[in-house]
Amino acid sequence: MNQRTDKSKKGETDDLGDYSRYLLAAIINSSDDVIISKNLDGIITTWNDAARRVFGYTADEIVGQSILRLIPRELHYEEFEILAKIRAGERIDHYETVRVRKSGEKFPISITISPVRDATGKVIGASKIARDVSERRPFDDSRFRLAAIVDSADDAIISKDLNGIIKTWNQGAYQMFGYTSKEMVGQPLLRLIPEELHYEEVEILRKLRAGERIDHYETTRLRKNGDPVEVSVTISPIRNNEGRVIGASKIARDISDRKHMEKMLIQSEKLAATGRMAAAIAHEVNNPLESLMNLIYLARLNCTASPKAQSYLLTAEGELERVSHIARQTLGYYRDTGSPSEVYLHGLVENVLTVYQSKLIAGGISVESSFNDLRKISVSQGEMLQIFSNVIANAIDAMKEGGRLSISLRATMALDGDGIQITIRDDGTGISQENLGQIFEPFFTTKGNLGTGIGLWVTKQLVERRGGQIAITSSTEYGKSGTTVTIYIPFANPQRSRLSRTEQSISSS
Amino acid sequence: MGIGSGSIYFGGESVSNPTGDQPRDAETSETQPAKPRILIVDDEKLIADTCAEILQQAGFHAQTAYDGWVALEIAAEFQPDYLLTDVLMPRMNGVELAIAVSKMWPATRILLFSGQAGISQTLLQGHEQGYEFELVAKPVHPIKLIERLQKQQS
Repeated sequence: MNQRTDKSKKGETDDLGDYSRYLLAAIINSSDDVIISKNLDGIITTWNDAARRVFGYTADEIVGQSILRLIPRELHYEEFEILAKIRAGERIDHYETVRVRKSGEKFPISITISPVRDATGKVIGASKIARDVSERRPFDDSRFRLAAIVDSADDAIISKDLNGIIKTWNQGAYQMFGYTSKEMVGQPLLRLIPEELHYEEVEILRKLRAGERIDHYETTRLRKNGDPVEVSVTISPIRNNEGRVIGASKIARDISDRKHMEKMLIQSEKLAATGRMAAAIAHEVNNPLESLMNLIYLARLNCTASPKAQSYLLTAEGELERVSHIARQTLGYYRDTGSPSEVYLHGLVENVLTVYQSKLIAGGISVESSFNDLRKISVSQGEMLQIFSNVIANAIDAMKEGGRLSISLRATMALDGDGIQITIRDDGTGISQENLGQIFEPFFTTKGNLGTGIGLWVTKQLVERRGGQIAITSSTEYGKSGTTVTIYIPFANPQRSRLSRTEQSISSS
Repeated sequence: MGIGSGSIYFGGESVSNPTGDQPRDAETSETQPAKPRILIVDDEKLIADTCAEILQQAGFHAQTAYDGWVALEIAAEFQPDYLLTDVLMPRMNGVELAIAVSKMWPATRILLFSGQAGISQTLLQGHEQGYEFELVAKPVHPIKLIERLQKQQS
């Protein structure tokens, strides 16, 4: 700067041209960078002091020589390309290559080459500014290596400044969150954080400014499509050369799978606990029920006095039977371990419909059925009754304002053998898309306190144990809402010994 | 009422009752030789007694025991055609009893009944020794119980 001011002052004098030439020469010679020039034949024409230091040749030795002396034999072709570009008036920027010193040692170098023109604008040669990068190289290598590691990591690795603005964004971050690095660099990190968790970022930044590190913090973040992703985050402050915190690096790992496993584990724990409790309660309830049932039956049988008392006892017996049914269903998931028998499935469906008849009538639900199962099938009646009653009870619950329940049974042919397909359809409220994925999970219920969340789960287990399949489709669309449950039971009974049948008692696990 | 028939033995709790068995056996074989004999075992006295009375009225000759060991003693004298036993009982469980009975009197038809779902371990015990027993869930309606036993008869 000072020199330029000097130059403009001196510019008023006649020897301006000389002065600037000396100045240029001084600058060139004092430069730490190699500055040399050559003509279009590749003959070196000028050679500065840095060139001497880097290459080991003095100006006397090298000026007038071919530039090829500085280029390793295997890279001579480069020179022809460079000269071709220069002739075309092109400039070559920060070209990284290898050159050779007088000692024969090869070293990495970064070169910028520009054409030199005469007064008419014709290219007459080239100036070359080069920097020995052998010092920088190892550092760069490790930087590249680091960059490669960062980019190939499955974890999201993100850096941000102390204002929470994203500075870098790796491939893992793209895969985890769905945003490209282009979309996210320069954006606030808050975009990834669900609104209700924004306070976390404030807290994180506060800790970072204090130089603290945050280890394996488990939280929820948002993908581009709005889906939550459960992550474990480790955040460390980034310091500059002076040790001042200037930002943070953030490594986030997708722990959705692990969380899911944990949830399943908790669920199965719950289930086991419920099972144990159910078994204990079942014993306490079922035994007195057995006694009661016997006593009332005996009382009715031996009471010859009044027909009125007789009918009371009969009603009591019926009610007791109802309680027993509920106790069997909910307390023990008790399954009849008697051997399967040959039955018409529609007979069982009719049984269930009879049980629910009063509910169907009271709820204004009409029943439409078409039974075309012409063959008997070997099933455990108790299990099948439970399957049908669970599904039909759900259908009734879905049609609070009345509706139509249609049930069809027909023999079907499948690849792995023939079977019977049961379709139970209601035009009730339907199941929302988000709930549909969870309906077979234990303890999932949309019925609030009235549901146990066990019905469909048990139903699915029973169907699958019999070698069958169950599928549910549903719509909540106004005017078309409703749910269709399709159950397929093959005629062939999967091989199962009495042993595995007794093991089916769920609460024993 | 039904108890008055005299053919139900409510004293099954103690083993020291064999004297009571002899005359009753003789008595029943005189009057109704065709009556199938059933031994009902449950540590809940009320269940055993009411079941006995129901089955008695249904044409069985019923005896009760409230304990597996006692049941074995009684069975030796009584030689039942049927054994209806609870599964979870102190001292000797229903499966152990059933195995012992079927070893000694292979012709005896055996039906287990239980109010608890968590008995598969106990059933397994029988399975391991090559025994499969039918099982009904408590509570079971008396008529269904009778049907179950009649089915075994055929």
